[in-house]
Amino acid sequence: REENEVSEEALVRDVLYACQGIDGNYVKFDEKADGYMLPELVKVSRATHVMVRKLCELGWLFRKVKGYISESMERFPAEDVGTVGQAFCAALQDELSEYYKLLAVLEGQAMNPIPLVSESATSGNYLSLRRLSVWFAEPMVKMRLMAVLVDSCKTLKGGAMAGAIHMQAQHGDPLVKQFMKRLLRRVCSPLFEMVRSWVLEGELEDIFAEFFVLSQPVKAESLWREGYSLHSAMLPSFISSSLAQRILRTGKSINFLRVCCEDRGWADAAAEAATAAGTTTGRGNLGYGETDALESLVAEAAKRIDKHLLDVMYNRYKFKEHCLAIKRYLLLGQGDFVQYLMDIVGPELSEPANTISSFKLAGLLESAIRSSNAQYDDPDVLDGLRVKMMPHNTGDRGWDVFSLEYDARVPLNTVFTESVMARYLRIFNFLWKLRRVEHALIGAWKTMKPNSVTSRFLDKLPNAVKLQLVLTSRRCQVLWDEMNHFVTNLQYYIMFEVLEISWSNFLKEMEIAKDLDDLLLAHEKYLCSIVEKSLLGERSQTLNTTLFVLFDLILRFRSHADRLYEGIHELQSRSTETSLSSRDKTKSRANKNDKLSEPGLWLGEGRKALTQRAGEFLRNIGKDLDAIANEYTSVFDGFISQLPVQQHIDLKFLMFRLDFTEFYSHLQSKTGTKLLP
Amino acid sequence: ADSFDARLDKAIGCYHASIQELIVIDDLLSALVGIEGRYISIKRVRGKEDTVAFQVDPSMGLTLQESAKRIFPLCESYLLINQFVESRSLSKHGLVNHAFAAALRALLLDYQALVAQLEHQFRLGRLSVQGLWFYCQPMMGSMQALSIVIRKVSANNFIGSTVLNLLQSQAKAMAGDHVVRSLLEKMIQCANAAYLRILERWVYEGVIDDPYGEFFISENKSLQKESLAQDYDAKYWQQRYSLKDDVPSFLATAAETILTTGKYLNVMRECGHNIQVPVAENSKLTSVGSNHHHLECIKAAYDYASGELLNLIKEKYDLMAKLRSIKHYLLLDQGDFLVHFMDIAREELSKKPDDISAEKLQSLLDLALRTTAAAADPCHEDLACCVEKTTLLKRLNTLKDLEISQTVSDSNELEEQLSITGLETFSLSYKVQWPLSLVISRKALTRYQLIFRFLFHCKHVNRQLCAAWQMHQGVRRLDMQGIAISVSSLLCRSMLRFINSLVHYLTFEVLEPNWHVMHNRLQTAKSIDEVIEYHEFFLEKCLRECLLLSPVLLKKVERLKLLCLRYAAAIQRLITSSVDIPTGIVSNGSLETEKYKRLKLRSRSQTLKLAPENASVIESILKFERDFSAELQSLGPILSNSSRAEPYLTHLAQWILGVGKDQ
Repeated sequence: REENEVSEEALVRDVLYACQGIDGNYVKFDEKADGYMLPELVKVSRATHVMVRKLCELGWLFRKVKGYISESMERFPAEDVGTVGQAFCAALQDELSEYYKLLAVLEGQAMNPIPLVSESATSGNYLSLRRLSVWFAEPMVKMRLMAVLVDSCKTLKGGAMAGAIHMQAQHGDPLVKQFMKRLLRRVCSPLFEMVRSWVLEGELEDIFAEFFVLSQPVKAESLWREGYSLHSAMLPSFISSSLAQRILRTGKSINFLRVCCEDRGWADAAAEAATAAGTTTGRGNLGYGETDALESLVAEAAKRIDKHLLDVMYNRYKFKEHCLAIKRYLLLGQGDFVQYLMDIVGPELSEPANTISSFKLAGLLESAIRSSNAQYDDPDVLDGLRVKMMPHNTGDRGWDVFSLEYDARVPLNTVFTESVMARYLRIFNFLWKLRRVEHALIGAWKTMKPNSVTSRFLDKLPNAVKLQLVLTSRRCQVLWDEMNHFVTNLQYYIMFEVLEISWSNFLKEMEIAKDLDDLLLAHEKYLCSIVEKSLLGERSQTLNTTLFVLFDLILRFRSHADRLYEGIHELQSRSTETSLSSRDKTKSRANKNDKLSEPGLWLGEGRKALTQRAGEFLRNIGKDLDAIANEYTSVFDGFISQLPVQQHIDLKFLMFRLDFTEFYSHLQSKTGTKLLP
Repeated sequence: ADSFDARLDKAIGCYHASIQELIVIDDLLSALVGIEGRYISIKRVRGKEDTVAFQVDPSMGLTLQESAKRIFPLCESYLLINQFVESRSLSKHGLVNHAFAAALRALLLDYQALVAQLEHQFRLGRLSVQGLWFYCQPMMGSMQALSIVIRKVSANNFIGSTVLNLLQSQAKAMAGDHVVRSLLEKMIQCANAAYLRILERWVYEGVIDDPYGEFFISENKSLQKESLAQDYDAKYWQQRYSLKDDVPSFLATAAETILTTGKYLNVMRECGHNIQVPVAENSKLTSVGSNHHHLECIKAAYDYASGELLNLIKEKYDLMAKLRSIKHYLLLDQGDFLVHFMDIAREELSKKPDDISAEKLQSLLDLALRTTAAAADPCHEDLACCVEKTTLLKRLNTLKDLEISQTVSDSNELEEQLSITGLETFSLSYKVQWPLSLVISRKALTRYQLIFRFLFHCKHVNRQLCAAWQMHQGVRRLDMQGIAISVSSLLCRSMLRFINSLVHYLTFEVLEPNWHVMHNRLQTAKSIDEVIEYHEFFLEKCLRECLLLSPVLLKKVERLKLLCLRYAAAIQRLITSSVDIPTGIVSNGSLETEKYKRLKLRSRSQTLKLAPENASVIESILKFERDFSAELQSLGPILSNSSRAEPYLTHLAQWILGVGKDQ
């Protein structure tokens, strides 16, 4: 052997040092080559050079892992390494100490010379480089794995880190698999602990934003919708997204109960869930690889807590009662109340909007409640009912700005949010208008009705006037009938086909709702179906405007009809007066102060003038009525023809009822497209 | 390597032979773990990573050279295997390769330990080249065999089951060498373990946990279970999960069973039942031996899954009740609702298919269902009606997968009837929910519908003839028309007999017995696949025996029915128009409408001469009779000709033609 060669013994010791990241006498870390090298100057055989380089790969890997650990530890309190990162470091550290133990044993062996059988042999050491390579085989695999993990997790934290490690753990090598499993159990334990405390206690112990549930500080009413969300980047791949959703909802339910409902009962439910799932509520009983246990825990907790939440909503906060109240008052389901309110509020609302005092209206609402069956309702519910004046423009009447609102308190305002209430308001306004039109038509009927008994009076009129009078009033009756038919059927459709059916569907869905999300969805569906079916939706806007034009026409008709019958009334009283006047002129003259019945006017003109004036009056009214009738028929025609175009909702029954005798379809087929009389 | 060579001032030849041997042994020990020594170097062929060659310094003693060269194949194998282990441990190569590489690594560790031992011997001065050669012997064969396998694996980039199959076949090919064989079997065991874990999750939980796509079952996520209830050609059950080509050979016989086991488990999961096959610890699928233990495990899992699913479908989803309810409505097993429906929907159904309002029919159907005994059936809400656009014959032709026995000779003859009405195209449909849609799929339902349409039309013809018969009864006693009425009533009777026999044949000779056979077989079915099979067999058989698969016969029957309908319409018209006075007297208020007609017709008919009218009536009736009997007789030969192949036709012939009864 060559004398200047470095002894293998020294090299072995150097390699052992290098594998702990320490430069030895000969083997030193070479920055340029990025690895431990035996300098070229050291005179050893080519095989030894290669051997040392191969063995020192372990040192290089070790440096990497160790570097990561110490870097993380240094950053730890100041920056957010996160609890998962800490657990990862700790697990790596443990693996390294196993490795140190091995190195210590090897170093001890390196000191021992070979127990020599004969004295003749000179050669030295038991632990040769080749032997070392056998020893290093297993640590090498592990160290490589750790280095890969360190590389892939450098920039990650929390759930994302756990997910990345999980991806690496999909390996067929039993050794690797076992190693990774051990590692993952430790890495994931903080994460699972978070899940556990979130699901069972609603606590978000997540200082470093590692958990896949994020919380935002929000007001109580939007806690459910916006308070918490899933952070998909932090969702490890071994937790499925549906499971994550359930986890999110369960914790959210607890927080909702705690914050909005001020309820304590959930703790019992959670404890029950934990025992049912077979774990205690203590810490650290879940681990990686036990997805089943996690799933069953979440399932049990979700089932119980959601049920508890719904119980609280239904029983303590009377969700159903509130919904019913909204239906009765805002959606005009309580007929006597609405009728009475319309009666007493009507005169007030005919005033210009800016002169109306909302206090007075509130008083009227109060008296409407007191004098209808609404008085027997729950005072809690009635408290929520308010008058609301909407912002008004110049020229608006009270009718345009009056509305009712329902004030829902926490936690019910999670369901009845402002946007939901705004939609209720829209529906209310529509229904209110419909009611008002109906009311107006009934009012018109009231004025029309007494005139049917005036045949005695008719006889006295000259034939020409009589004919005209009969014709005009007949035209008025026919038009009224037509309008009434339309309004009644629309009213029926809205009340029974829309509101009641939606309500019964809603009740059914409420029964089967499993959690608050289901409930919200059911309510949303309920509201949506009402909005869509009452033609308030986006897609039926043209129909809706046509409908409002029709309403306005009917209201205009009412004023004309009123005018007509006022006139007829006037005429009647006048004619009786003229007949009277022959007997007792002076008496009647003294009583008159009306414009039409200006004493001078009637007195001088007598019967003939009266006839002439009446004829003129009736002609005017007749013209007006014709104009309205024409406009009404054309608009109504448009409405009818648009009905079948609405594909998204089932309007067949409305159509069927409106056109029950097939009068309109006959008319349509006869006149082609136009429906003019 | 040049720098090393430069320092080699002396060629090996300069040394004494015994020194040379020591140096060579040291170099060989290095070479055995793939490291170049002083005088042994490694030549790599460029472009081919897996071929390396060892070379010795030419100045070495020739004997030493030769003995060193003997050992080189081992060194080459080591290098190759080592390289394979390093590369295949990367995650992209799949679980089987990982496990295989891990097993190889364990082997290499043994090998390295051997080399270290040899070194120890060498240090003690007890190792010669010859001794080295001797100690290497046991390793030579196995390393060689492994390197052959490895070359194949890396050349073809095998993953998953192909690796397993290769190992398997190599083990068989090297069966002669006991050591190699047992070594390879150990490798197979290790590699299988990874594969079996995937298999286990599939067979026990129905989950494909296969990150690298090695498993032999693939899932086609685009096939939705909803398609079963909508699509006639739904492939969900057949193709949602399918076998790939590369099934490991040890599982080849069980592949279908494995597939169905997981499929069943998945069906249960889709229904919201989290089912896990309970496994005893000792019967787990951990190893594959020659004792076929694994096949027994798979069988056990299959039995469990299939039993569980069958139970679920039969008990919880109550398949039999559903089938029974379908039979009530689609096979006209319960008649009262149908009679009621035909009464109230007659007007709507006699319109053209395009004019029929499906909503109106639906509401009439609902009315019929709710006012009759059908209301007691909890499933009656699932029934819906639909109006198709084509006749039954055309519809049959569009369904290509039905095995129509005799092809239609002239397709032109299938001209669309001009007056096709809702009566010909009306059919019922039935809402079926998952998982029952597995059995009662769109396809099965379509077959039910075909049968229904045929039956429905027969019933309609029957009703029309009955109405005609009633009319005859009204005028018979009067006998004003001479023989016209009696001729006509004879014809009416034979027509009624025909249609009644046909309906009887369809319901009592075909549907009922077959249904009962199916019912009994379903009770004893072992798996859902059997249920599906029995059900489909039943439908197929019914279709065939209802003549729906033989267009020639069907067309004959259709023509006969058409004749009956024409006759019924004509005779009603004739009787009401010509025999107005008597009908008024005879019907005596029983036919309200007749009175009205009588008022209108009386004056005209009184002016008509009775005799020529009567003659033409008789003439047309006789024409109907001729046509009808000709058609009916022409059925005879067809039926008797094909009754050899299809024995059920004998029954039909017996009923319709009275063959074999009158004798």
